Amino acid sequence: MKIILNKWLSMLAVCTVLAIPISRAQTPTDAIMMEKGQLCVAAIYGHDTWDEYWEGTYKRSNGNIGTLTRQSVTGMFSLGITDRINVLGALPWMKTSSSAGFFHGVQGIQDWGVWVKARAIDFKVGPGTLGFYPVLGLTGPASNYLPDYLPFSLGLGAVEASGRGILIYELDMGLYVRAHAAYHVRGNTTIERDYYYIPGSGGVYSDQVDMPNVSSFGATLGALLLNNNLKVEATYDGMNTLGGADIRPHDMPFPSNNMDMTRAGLSLQYYIPLGNGHILSVIAGGSQVLTGRNVGQSTAFMGGLTYQFGVFGNKKATN
Amino acid sequence: MKKIYFLGILAFVALTVFQACEKDLPTNLEFSPYTYETLDENGGTWKPVLLDSATLIGIPAPESASSAAYLTELADLKAASSDLTSDQKKAVAYWSGDGLVRWNEVARDLAAKYNLPPAPKPDGTYGAPDPANPGNIPNFPFAHPPYACRMFAYWSAAQFDALIAAWHYKYAYNRPAAYKTDASISTHLPQNDLPGYPSDGAVVAAVSKRILTAMFPLEKEYIAGLATEHLNSLQWAGISTESDIVWGDSLGRGVAGKFLARAGSDGMKAAQTPKPISDSLRVAAKARFGWQWDNLESPTRPVGITPYFGRVKPWCIPNVEAVRPPVPPAPGSAEFIKDAEEIKDISKNLTQEQRKIANFWSDGPSTYTPPGHWNRFAADEIVDHRLNPLRAARVLAYMNMAIMDAGISCWDAKYYYHYARPIQAVPGFKTILGTPNFPSYTSGHSTFSAAGATVLGHFFPAEAAKFDRWAEEAAESRIYGGIHYRFDADMGNTQGKACAAHTLEVAKADGAE
Repeated sequence: MKIILNKWLSMLAVCTVLAIPISRAQTPTDAIMMEKGQLCVAAIYGHDTWDEYWEGTYKRSNGNIGTLTRQSVTGMFSLGITDRINVLGALPWMKTSSSAGFFHGVQGIQDWGVWVKARAIDFKVGPGTLGFYPVLGLTGPASNYLPDYLPFSLGLGAVEASGRGILIYELDMGLYVRAHAAYHVRGNTTIERDYYYIPGSGGVYSDQVDMPNVSSFGATLGALLLNNNLKVEATYDGMNTLGGADIRPHDMPFPSNNMDMTRAGLSLQYYIPLGNGHILSVIAGGSQVLTGRNVGQSTAFMGGLTYQFGVFGNKKATN
Repeated sequence: MKKIYFLGILAFVALTVFQACEKDLPTNLEFSPYTYETLDENGGTWKPVLLDSATLIGIPAPESASSAAYLTELADLKAASSDLTSDQKKAVAYWSGDGLVRWNEVARDLAAKYNLPPAPKPDGTYGAPDPANPGNIPNFPFAHPPYACRMFAYWSAAQFDALIAAWHYKYAYNRPAAYKTDASISTHLPQNDLPGYPSDGAVVAAVSKRILTAMFPLEKEYIAGLATEHLNSLQWAGISTESDIVWGDSLGRGVAGKFLARAGSDGMKAAQTPKPISDSLRVAAKARFGWQWDNLESPTRPVGITPYFGRVKPWCIPNVEAVRPPVPPAPGSAEFIKDAEEIKDISKNLTQEQRKIANFWSDGPSTYTPPGHWNRFAADEIVDHRLNPLRAARVLAYMNMAIMDAGISCWDAKYYYHYARPIQAVPGFKTILGTPNFPSYTSGHSTFSAAGATVLGHFFPAEAAKFDRWAEEAAESRIYGGIHYRFDADMGNTQGKACAAHTLEVAKADGAE
């Protein structure tokens, strides 16, 4: 297995996914490891739009929003601390705007994210390899953006810790299936008013908002083609907020809303070895939200470059 | 590597535990039942708002403190107040006897719950709430600021009159509180020297139940449940006997009925006009001033919020003309351009502090509205100053009457001048707050807040400067939010103060000062 291949693609999410932003989406969900001393940096552009959203479970459009567009540029890195432990980080810049209505869009830095991923187990099973990768993550707001300005808010403003398990079965011929599931523990988010009303619950006299926790999952079918230089992946994933209220008819959304969604995506990554162990890759992908609750039905595209090189240890990637 | 796993798992567990230990967020004002600062023994002689006299709603003389019937009541009270469950103890502490601040909070939450503009239907039209069928979609009411300010005004003015009457009977009949007659009754609230008959807590519960049910008919059962708990809590607390409660309830219901009769004919029913009337106001403004406000929502809302709220019967201002602000600067005039340039500049270069102020005072849909915000400030002061329910109701009554008069005056100006909002008058202008569905001049927030601050400043003079500052910040917040010009805010502030001056004239003559 060519573990040098840096698969950033599954990170395409990086908050470009839903117009009602989901900061926890910026979690690495792949099973790729940098070898010790290898650093991969990436810059990804994302473009995400929706013109329909779910108000609770009722799907509608809104003439005062028209099409909501969210664009982002995300800087990321992945560093091999050891062959079995990687540290990953991401920081997205984002811009939101609407095609109709009179609301100001927003732009700025969204949430920082740091993850530690380990190759805990891998062994031969039949014609392939089975691997298990636990990932621990921490994300939080990297600027003073306002979470209480949905759907234009850059993010939800809460610090979040996540624990994820990734299971992959890869055939020696380069075909693989991967599944992951995660639990996200969210702290409070802070808004700029000290009274708000939660439907079905009542008024709260605080500028703190209790954010329900979230579970997420995904399944990917992938293949390495063209002498392992091209990676193709099809992914089905989703999230489920474990609590929170629905948006009431024609009301504004709220950070602690019960946001759920499922999504299908396709991605490509092409690797260009530059010699001396340096590797460039070009990535591109798209995704479509299929079902949702209190989120926009996003159609997203992304594209970017990754660059991998050795920074310590054996500076050449083993191919 | 094992170390890293361990640390990671530890961090995750620590965060989960941290989250589990997060304090529950407050859903009301946290305070302990307090001893009243004063008892206002002559409160029964104060001049009521609506009643001709404190005796308009009569209640019979109670059985004497030594009667067999009363001794039975005392025994019942003694039984009810011993061995409380933890839920009963919680209810006693929550209602803290008179319950006035709690019912004010209930009213605020209901305002927030019902402060939701009708949604467009799939065919692009809007339904309208129907008071005759409140459960139809959209539900009745839409508790926008005019609706909310009127609700708070009737609720608090009725409390004030009912408590004046209660004080009158307390001292006219002068039956001591149950715990004064029978010292063996265990009380769970601070004792005082107020005569027990009728119960002020029962008066407050009855007025609240009747007024709030009329204002929020779909909440009938919810409100009845709260009232029952409040009345029970008076017995669990060991402070009110059955006859104290029954006749307090009767008095409260009677006074509330007088206020609801006024509400039924104050003009509110006609405030949400049909489209032809609404259109005629636009045409009149266009003819008179050469401009008009238009709703720019998509789909367009056919009628703004309560075009005839300016015709609703006020409490203390003589008429709307007496407090109507001058003509606003014409679009294109030097004064208009100056204020338009200001909001353009703010919109482009909004600071963190400005954004915070705009949001803090936004009080938009799904909130208790600006009148609710000022009720919250008033309740904070009432608790800080440990006011008895009569004193507290007086503060709330004059403040909310001033706020409602300010609202009436403001709405008169809004639809008389029919002035365009910034998003209509300034090409390409964008906002961080939703532009409300009524004309711009003058600013409702500014008018409501100045009226509230002026009355609170009169009652709590040591805090007057703070209230004025808050009112100015509330006014300023609308400029930062991009939904008002500075002249809307400044003139609204002046207008609110002018309305409150009329209220304070009445307050100063009611015999309480």
